[in-house]
Amino acid sequence: MSSPSIRRVVVTGMGAVSALGIGAEALWDGLREGHSGIRALRHKDADRLRVKIAAQVPETFDPAATIDERMLPLLDRTSEFALCSAHEAIAQSGLDFKRGTLGARTAVIVGTGVGGETTQDEQSRRLYAENAPRTHPLTIVRLMTNASASQISIAYGLRGPTFAVASACASANHAIIQAAQTIRYGMADVAITGGTEACLTYGALRAWEAMRILSDDTCRPFSANRHGLVLGEGAGIFVLELLEHAQARGAVILAELAGSGMTADATDIVSPSADGAATAMTQALADAGLATTDVDYINAHGTGTPANDVTETHAIHLAFGDQARHLVVSSTKSMHGHALGASGALELVAVIGALRDGVVPPTANLDVPDPACDLDYVANVARQLPVRAALSNSFAFGGLNAVLALKRAP
Amino acid sequence: MNETTQPQVFEMIAKSAKVDVATIKPESTLKDLGIASLDAIELIFDIEEHFNINFPEQQGANFDTDTAQSLVTAVQQALDAKAANGAEDK
Repeated sequence: MSSPSIRRVVVTGMGAVSALGIGAEALWDGLREGHSGIRALRHKDADRLRVKIAAQVPETFDPAATIDERMLPLLDRTSEFALCSAHEAIAQSGLDFKRGTLGARTAVIVGTGVGGETTQDEQSRRLYAENAPRTHPLTIVRLMTNASASQISIAYGLRGPTFAVASACASANHAIIQAAQTIRYGMADVAITGGTEACLTYGALRAWEAMRILSDDTCRPFSANRHGLVLGEGAGIFVLELLEHAQARGAVILAELAGSGMTADATDIVSPSADGAATAMTQALADAGLATTDVDYINAHGTGTPANDVTETHAIHLAFGDQARHLVVSSTKSMHGHALGASGALELVAVIGALRDGVVPPTANLDVPDPACDLDYVANVARQLPVRAALSNSFAFGGLNAVLALKRAP
Repeated sequence: MNETTQPQVFEMIAKSAKVDVATIKPESTLKDLGIASLDAIELIFDIEEHFNINFPEQQGANFDTDTAQSLVTAVQQALDAKAANGAEDK
């Protein structure tokens, strides 16, 4: 995808809702301080569930504070997160879509693993548990996977390419890459993109329990005593913009989205492959015009499962060779949890923070070094480190890999 | 130890591995038997359903090294715990 590289893509706005609070700033402040958003599970069926912890958006989240009350009945929790994050990102960008023809030149591409799971769960309960004769009439418009993208489009009059991207835990990164490509190929000058997920329902939690990959204490990426992931939720939404478009209006540029890589393992539906992940990282470097020596930080997929963390470490060695020992790696999932289809978006907030502030967020709960995980994971405390360029890894069930390459604002 | 537990568990392992039950030895690991991670999770689920028990959350984190006998032991422990607590399935 190097041919349209003349059209460079930058980030001019970001917004987030996460276990670390409402707003991208709350997320970044929490991450650099090493705060954990993992708490006792807050759920009306908590006493029946085996899973006892999660990284949930705080109860103080109030969608009515930012969303028009006439829209609220149309929204699943997934779309509430996405819309609130989009409001924040667009406000930061300073773009005014009511003026001129910008709305027609703006894409909306949002990743989500499963879409309106809360709606699905509630309505299924009505039908099958309570024998209700009908579902709520807005069930379909709330639960459809593209609801978040469509609601953002409608709220701002954005009329360019608009759709959802689904690739389980890599959904946000795949969506962000697709949005950047849309700008690169001249189909839009601005794109609203990112990921959203809110699937901590009784049914989904039971399904995760049955896979036996949830941790029972906390998330410990790359630590020898890790034993699983901690589910999270939230959204991260960004304004991507053609570099010249941003410069012409004097916008504050947060970072450059310089390149990307996408591969499929084509091996196993759940077990990750180092080759697939390494190839995606190598592609992202080449696409961004980066040498391995240019990269100072990798925000790891780092789920805290026994399989991922060893395989990802191996993949970084494959992609970076000797340079793997001269860069730092951290998994912020140790703090914001695994927000599935929103993960890559929450992690992009961390990467942009590292590029702008020269601070790498830590891997929390890394107490016991694992000989099989032999890189510098910035254990437990953030590190002052000038970051020139960074990668952000997302690897999904299904063997799907999506890697972003970011540079400091030009 | 309930004497019927082992044959039942071995039968389920054999079915998952698609081998004759006579080939299952107490020291056989699931990995030896070619039961890969997702198949092992399914086997654990089938065993839980069959005996109406729950393995502890971290049980099954070591599918590759779990032996046939360790699964039998885990089943028996769960059955004993259930009998002691009168615990219902949850």
